[in-house]
Order: sequence, then structure tokens, then C-alpha cells
Amino acid sequence: MSGHDSKYFSTTKKGEIPELKEELNSQYKDKRKDAVKKVIAAMTVGKDVSSLFTDVVNCMQTENLELKKLVYLYLINYAKSQPDLAILAVNTFVKDSQDPNPLIRALAVRTMGCIRVDKITEYLCDPLQRCLKDDDPYVRKTAAICVAKLYDINAELVEDRGFLDALKDLISDNNPMVVANAVAALAEIQESSSRPIFEITSHTLSKLLTALNECTEWGQVFILDALSKYKAADAREAENIVERVTPRLQHANCAVVLSAVKMILQQMELITSTDVVRNLCKKMAPPLVTLLSAEPEIQYVALRNINLIVQKRPTILAHEIKVFFCKYNDPIYVKMEKLEIMIKLASDRNIDQVLLEFKEYATEVDVDFVRKAVRAIGRCAIKLERAAERCISVLLELIKIKVNYVVQEAIIVIKDIFRRYPNTYESIIATLCESLDTLDEPEAKASMIWIIGEYAERIDNADELLESFLESFPEEPPQVQLQLLTATVKLFLKKPTEGPQQMIQVVLNNATVETDNPDLRDRAYIYWRLLSTDPEAAKDVVLAEKPVISDDSNQLDPSLLDELLSNIATLSSVYHKPPEAFVTRVKTTQRTEEEEYADAGEQGLSDSPARVAESGASPPASAQHPAARQPAAPAAPAALPDLLDLGMDNSNSAIVSVDQPATPAGPPLPVLVPASTGQGLQISAQLIRRDGQVFYSMMFENNTQVPLDGFMIQFNKNTFGLAAGGPLQVPQLLPGTSASTLLPMVLFQNISPGPPSTLLQVAVKNNQQPVWYFNDKIYFHVLFTEDGRMERSTFLETWKSLPDSNEVSKDFPAAVINSVEVTLDQLAVSNMFFIAKRKHANQEVLYLSAKIPRGIPFLIELTAVIGTPGVKCAVKTPSPEMAPLFFEAVETLLKS
Amino acid sequence: MGLVFSRLFSSLFGNKEARILVLGLDNAGKTTILYRLQMGEVVSTIPTIGFNVETVQYNNIKFQVWDLGGQTSIRPYWRCYFPNTQAIIYVVDSSDTDRLVVAKEEFHAILEEEELKGAVVLVYANKQDLPGALDDAAVTEALELHKIKNRQWAIFKTSAIKGEGLFEGLDWLSNTLKSGGS
Repeated sequence: MSGHDSKYFSTTKKGEIPELKEELNSQYKDKRKDAVKKVIAAMTVGKDVSSLFTDVVNCMQTENLELKKLVYLYLINYAKSQPDLAILAVNTFVKDSQDPNPLIRALAVRTMGCIRVDKITEYLCDPLQRCLKDDDPYVRKTAAICVAKLYDINAELVEDRGFLDALKDLISDNNPMVVANAVAALAEIQESSSRPIFEITSHTLSKLLTALNECTEWGQVFILDALSKYKAADAREAENIVERVTPRLQHANCAVVLSAVKMILQQMELITSTDVVRNLCKKMAPPLVTLLSAEPEIQYVALRNINLIVQKRPTILAHEIKVFFCKYNDPIYVKMEKLEIMIKLASDRNIDQVLLEFKEYATEVDVDFVRKAVRAIGRCAIKLERAAERCISVLLELIKIKVNYVVQEAIIVIKDIFRRYPNTYESIIATLCESLDTLDEPEAKASMIWIIGEYAERIDNADELLESFLESFPEEPPQVQLQLLTATVKLFLKKPTEGPQQMIQVVLNNATVETDNPDLRDRAYIYWRLLSTDPEAAKDVVLAEKPVISDDSNQLDPSLLDELLSNIATLSSVYHKPPEAFVTRVKTTQRTEEEEYADAGEQGLSDSPARVAESGASPPASAQHPAARQPAAPAAPAALPDLLDLGMDNSNSAIVSVDQPATPAGPPLPVLVPASTGQGLQISAQLIRRDGQVFYSMMFENNTQVPLDGFMIQFNKNTFGLAAGGPLQVPQLLPGTSASTLLPMVLFQNISPGPPSTLLQVAVKNNQQPVWYFNDKIYFHVLFTEDGRMERSTFLETWKSLPDSNEVSKDFPAAVINSVEVTLDQLAVSNMFFIAKRKHANQEVLYLSAKIPRGIPFLIELTAVIGTPGVKCAVKTPSPEMAPLFFEAVETLLKS
Repeated sequence: MGLVFSRLFSSLFGNKEARILVLGLDNAGKTTILYRLQMGEVVSTIPTIGFNVETVQYNNIKFQVWDLGGQTSIRPYWRCYFPNTQAIIYVVDSSDTDRLVVAKEEFHAILEEEELKGAVVLVYANKQDLPGALDDAAVTEALELHKIKNRQWAIFKTSAIKGEGLFEGLDWLSNTLKSGGS
């Protein structure tokens, strides 16, 4: 390659980003605006323009509202990817939140709420506070929503700054939109908290009802949803509320209508007057019917909700069954839902009409729909005794069409009809048997086989029919195999002749030896043993009279129904699942242990007698708890002496106070100078804390041939200025003896400058030997003072007063917390004091405090999943440089 | 059309915008100076987390003045504003003698910046109204201004609260920028 070719690599073209950058920094306003537009355009099509962050943010302070909006839009998108630089926008937000133009004030507060960057959240509190009290309702209503957003980012901050109270004040605002948004924000906050935050009182109730009529449709939805959670004091109040709300049923917005329906249904629970209830039902029918003339998607939502409503109060739509008749062009999902509701509304009065419809549906082309229609006929037969015969004749007509899936579906429902009306319709069995060979679906086959077995005595060729199935026994699905087994046993018990006897042997053999299916095998063995020990008993068991069934399929459990009804017009009522089944929301509830116990007690009192009995049993259990763990803690160090170098401090203190102050028993001290290097003198030592003082616990062991005396000790400069607080008191050490001592230590004597270190250099001399130098390690937790306990409020204040830069965190992947209590006890021994705990998802978060001399606090947050290795430790302190030492200590403590 | 004209005019009269950064430690008085220059009055300020930008017209020169927050956490982002800067106004709290060392270090770090090679430096020894405030000579000494080479600089005693000294400094700045051809 010749030298000239290098020009191909250094292009003169700058590329889009540098070009945009230049334009953004242009001195001409219009050029800058165009540039920001280009940036937004690039952002919209998915190009990464985050590298222009500062340049765009620099255009933020402008008179031009359009430009400002564009920059804000950019910020919302990219603040998360540039969390550090986002701080540059704070001042502009603060300024804009005081702009004379309310639009700009609202814009600022709205954008602030959308920027989810921890570092800048706290700066946004003051502007938010101002905007909540703004003169302009538009700003206030925007600020109200912003509180909910902030709560999601940092709930504690919201509570500490009193934003919740400010929101509650906004409920009494004179502007209905502000009221609606405050309600929306409070409701949202309530969802993520288990503490009662938002409770409607009779005072707020009247405010809400007044605002309801004046605010926008979505505001109405929020207010109605909030009202539906209100428990009226008595029937009178409920009636009054309902009366104020009924005009909402006429609203054009279906969300408003459904929310109003929900609210009325909830209050109707309290209303005792049957007249009023009947009246209300009458009033609710037309709006619900109207919902069905909307688009199919809305129809579907309406139908799913109506499904719930008719289960609770069938009278509302009892006369409206015609609106649920399927139209030929309804989408399949609407048809299916309509069928379901038709079954629920079918009655003796309308069954003829309904059956005609069903019959019609059963001849349509959509297989799923046809099946459901056939099944619907069967379900109507089961539901309405007087109409059963008509239903069955329709089913027989359908069977005669000989459409495979219709026949199969019919057989499935007829099996249920036999169970519902025993000894009534068995005459049709012959007709069913004609279609035997067309069955290819497991459920239909199983149903048919059940029928054959159950009515074997009435079917002349039952054994032949069953035998035809037996040939393929091993290939059949389990469902069919189980039915075949049972049917054959029934047949044998009813006709104990040779044919069935052979059959039963084949079946039992197949179902025990040849199969891998444990269900089948177990059932076969039970039959086998029953038959071989006592055939009469087998008869009693297998041929026992069956209880009559009723149609409860697709009927929801009453408590679930009530829960779903309280969630009408939400996804929950469409899925027919309680919200917690599909919404995972982090509950940021902070509860201390005491509160939890208190809660449990209250629950026990207010609940049903059964619950009282239960909770009556639990207090002894919880009372046992502390007692149970106390013996456990001292037991542990005994079992694992050298692992618990920490527990030793505690267990020793009891021993020391007896009569041997100089010879602490317990786990051996770490050997720092082994006899091999100490010319026969072995030195073991460790820093410990006892009775609020630091001691250097030492042991000397004389393995030399001469007595040693005149021991002296000196400590080199160290981070904490640890030094001997008195002379080293070791008596003359005869050969082969040892001596222990506790040397009181003082702090801040000869502090070494430089970065904090745990290194403690020690020199020991005696009259006989050279000076021994050795290195020891300062366990940081030895320095934790006894006065490190903090009040929760102090803890919070201190936490807030420290800048975020003082927070350091570290993960201990190997550490594990198996029990919160045990860990807290362990830590408390080392003067790390428990403040509070909370649950965050499946994690336990513990807050503790500790103090080192000179009153330097450490605010500690431990996060861990109980029983799983991995503990996250975050610490906030005025001396973050000490954090590494601190972490080392905590890790040691946690692992012990 | 009107736009083209105004651009033409500004180039004819040399009425172009000079980009100026106001830097200094936190609580030096940068924001107060900015608004004193722009509006002529003392506004109440809170610590600037981020920046303020205003246009100040003086002596036929339009200054685009960027006032950047002085807190330790924000100082690292000053460099985002360095390109195309004609002048730096460095504000020192003359009464905060304890932090003069820090102020000096930050100041010299700025001067080292490649992107600010051509920028002239105006130092405001601010807060002269406070008792115990050092005078300009002492601040010059403390900031080691005499070490500055290859760069035009000046120091003025100011009091943003009283409005003293600010425009004298701006006079110097506009003259320097006009003549210096920067």
C-alpha cells in the first residue's frame, strides 16, 4: 500500500452526530431549534443520539416553548441512559417550575416525574412542593400525578416530604380536574402500599361526588373507582351515593359506564330495600345493553364483565337475553362469550327461543363454536329440569346429522345428563351406540365407555362394544384407559360370565404390567385386590349409587366473584382472575417486627371464630420464639469454637468476670508468632472488645529452655491510632508454661496518615530474646461503640443529611443469612444495632447502625434472600473512606 | 429575509455573541453575578444544580453567559461547556479563605484544559462587602495568577450584592475580546 492510500481512512465527512453537535451549539436560535428537531427525529426512528445529551440539554433554557418541549421529550428518553449528566438539567427544571407561564410550570413538573434517575429525584422535591400549591389548577393537577410517579421511584421520600398529605389536601380542591387527578394518584399509591393511605371519609365523599359531575370522563372513572372502594355507613348513605352516581350510567364513555356499574353494585350490597334494588337493576340494564352495540373489542370486554354481573345479579339482564343472540358476523370471541351468558340467562320462560338459537349455531361452520353450542344445550338440560327433555330431543336431532364433532360433543354432554337425571333418559343409549365407531376424541371416547360400563346391564352387547375398544388399549390416552378399566370392572360385576372374565384379565394385565402410568396401575391394583378378596365389597364400591350432579361448570367461587366484581372494568374482570394473579407489583411496605405482631393480633380479634382459634394457637408459638433462639446462640460457639471468633467476645465476658481476669478461656487466639520463628516463644493475640473498651488479648507460650521475663510491647502508627493503654503485664515465663493477658488499648494515640488500613504492626521484646515484630489485623468491628444504637428518626435524618456520594455498597456473594433473628443477634453482639427491616420482593432488607469512636456513625443496609448465599451491604457514613474496612468486618461477622 | 438582514448587521457591527463561562466554587456568587449583569438586580438564589444561561448585552458585545454550578459533584461536567469559549469569568469568594486553595487548584486545572487555550480569563474577587474579605492583591497571590503565561487575564474586586466592580470587569473583557480578535 502506498502512503497516499491512507487518505481513504481519514474521511473529511464528519457523520451525522458531529454535524448535529455543531448545529446544536450554533449561536443562532433557529438553527439550534432545527437541530433539536433533527435529533428528536433521529431518536424517534431509533437512532442512538444519547451522545448529544449535554448539547441538547444546553438548549433547554429557552423562551421558545416548542424548543423546550422538544428538549424535555429528549430528556425523558435519555435521562436514564445518562444518569450522571441528567443532573445538569436540574437547575432548569427548578427555574421552569417557577416560570410565569403555567404551561411551562406544568411541563417542568410533568417531565420531572418521568425522569426516573435516583440522583436527581431529591432535587425535584422542592419544585414539586411548590407546584402542588400552585395558583393554576393545570399545574396542580399535573403535580398530583407527579407525586404518584415519585412514589414509585422513592416512596420514603414522598412520605417524608409530606406529599401524601398535600395530595389529600388536593381532594378538597375547588377544581374538579385537580380532585380527579389527586384521587387517581392516591389510588395508584395505595395499590403499591399495604398501609392504608387513601381512605374516603364522609367529608371527602361529598367533595368527590361534587367533583364527579364536573370533571372529564377519565377523571370520572378515577373518582368512581375510588368511590367503589368506599364502605358506606348504612343503607341510607349507600342509597344516597348511588342516587348521585346513577346519571353516570348514561355516559357515552363505556369506561365511565362500567365504573359506575361497579360502584353501584358495590353499594347495592348494603341496600336492604328490595324496591330500591329492583329499581337499580332496571336502571343498569339499558346501559349494559348499549355497550353491546360498540366495536367487537369493547363488546368482548363488556361481555366478560356482564358474565360476572349476571352471576351476581341475574335479574338485571333477565329480560334481555335476545341481545346476546349471536350475529352471523360477530367475531368468534364475542360469540363464545355470548353463548356463555345465554346459558346463564336461560330460564324456563325463554328456553324454547334459546334452544332454537343453539340448534342454529350447532349447524354453523366454525367447529369450536358448534361444539360450544352443543355443550350449551347439554348444560341447559342440566340447569333446567323442565326443559331437559326438549334439550335432549334437540341433541338427538343433532346426533342424527352424523357430523363427527357434533356427535362426540353430544355424547360428552349426554353423559352429564345421565348423571343429572338418573333412570330417565337411558332409552337413547341405543342411538348413541350407533355412532360408536366415529368417536376419535379422548373425551368423547371416555364418555361413551363410561356410559357403556354404567349401563352394561341394559346394553345387550356391552361386552362386544367394550371388547372392540380393548384391542387398542395400550395406544389409548390415559383418560380413555382409565374409563376402559373401570367400565370393564363394572361390566364384570354386572355380568360375571366368561366373556367379561377374560376381558377383565386382559385389562388388568394391560393396566398393571404393561403400563408406565402410575394412576392407571394403582387403580388397576385396587380393583384387582377388591375383586380377589371380596367381590361383594367391590360391587358396593364400584357400583355405588352416584350423587346427582348440578351444572356448576363456569360458575365462579362466590368470594372470587365478589373480588372480580370489585374490579369491574379492569383487566382482572376480563381475565376472570384476581389482580395479584397476573400483576406483580413491588409492595414497598416497611414494617417493623412489632407492627407485624400487632397486626396479627388484631386480625385474630376481628376475624371469624375459626380464625380466632387459629391465632389463639399462634401467640405461644411466637412467644417461644425468642426463648428458643436464646439457648441456640450460645450453643453455636461451643460447637464451632474457632469459626465464631466474634461470639467469643460475648461468651468470654461472662467467664472473665468470675475470677480469672487475666486468662480468658474460650477459643484459642490466632498464633501470630509461631514458636518456630520466635526461637521457642509463641505469641498469639487478637484485638477484642469488652465492656466498652478495646483490649489486646495475648497469650505467650514459652517453649524455650530458659525463663523469659521483662516483656514489653509497642504498636506502630496505625489508622486508628491504637496504642497500649498501660504496660504489658506478663509475669516471668518459666520454660514450658504460658501466660495470658488482656492489654487495655487506647485510640487516637499515634495515627498514621494515608488511606485507612487494618494493618496493626506490633513489636514485643523481652530481656532474653531479640525484638519480635509481627503484623496483626484490626477487626474494624472491635471499634464499634456501645452507644451506636439510633432512633429510627435519627437514622432517617442522618441518612438524608449525608450526600449520596457517601454511600458505598458491596456484595458478599459467599455470605448467607439463614435467619434474620440469629444474624441480628450476632451483629448486636458486635454493637451493630437493628433499626428496622422491610421486605422487598423476596428479599429481606435490614437497617442497622453502628458507631466508631469520635461518634462517626455507619448507617447500614443489608439486603439478602433468606437462606440463599449473597448479601448486599450498603453503608452510608461521613467517612466513606472507612467503608472497605467496614465491609471486611461485616463480611467476617456474617460468615461467622 | 429579516433573518438574513439581522445576521448581516451583526456581522457588520461586530455584534456577535461571545461565549463566556462563569466558573468558581460553590457559593462563590456566580448566579448572583449573572443576574446582576443581566437584570441589574440582586435575585435570591439557591445552589445551581446544573446551569443557567443568559444573554448579556454590553458595550456592543452580546455575551452568552453560562453560569455553571460549582458544587463538587457538578464540577466534572464543566468540561462539557469548554469548546468554543472565548472567555472565562472565574469567581472567588474572597472571604472564604479556607477554600482558596481548592479554588486555586480548580482554577489552574481549568487553565490546563486544551479546549480553553484561547480563552481570556477574568477573575472576580467577589464578596468584597463581607468583613475579612481579601483584596485583589491577596487573591492574586492566593490563586497564583502571576503563574499565568500566554494568556490575557485581569482581576477585579467585586461585590455582586452591591453591584461594584462587575461592569469594570466586563469593560475589560469586552475591550480585550474586541482587540484580541478572539
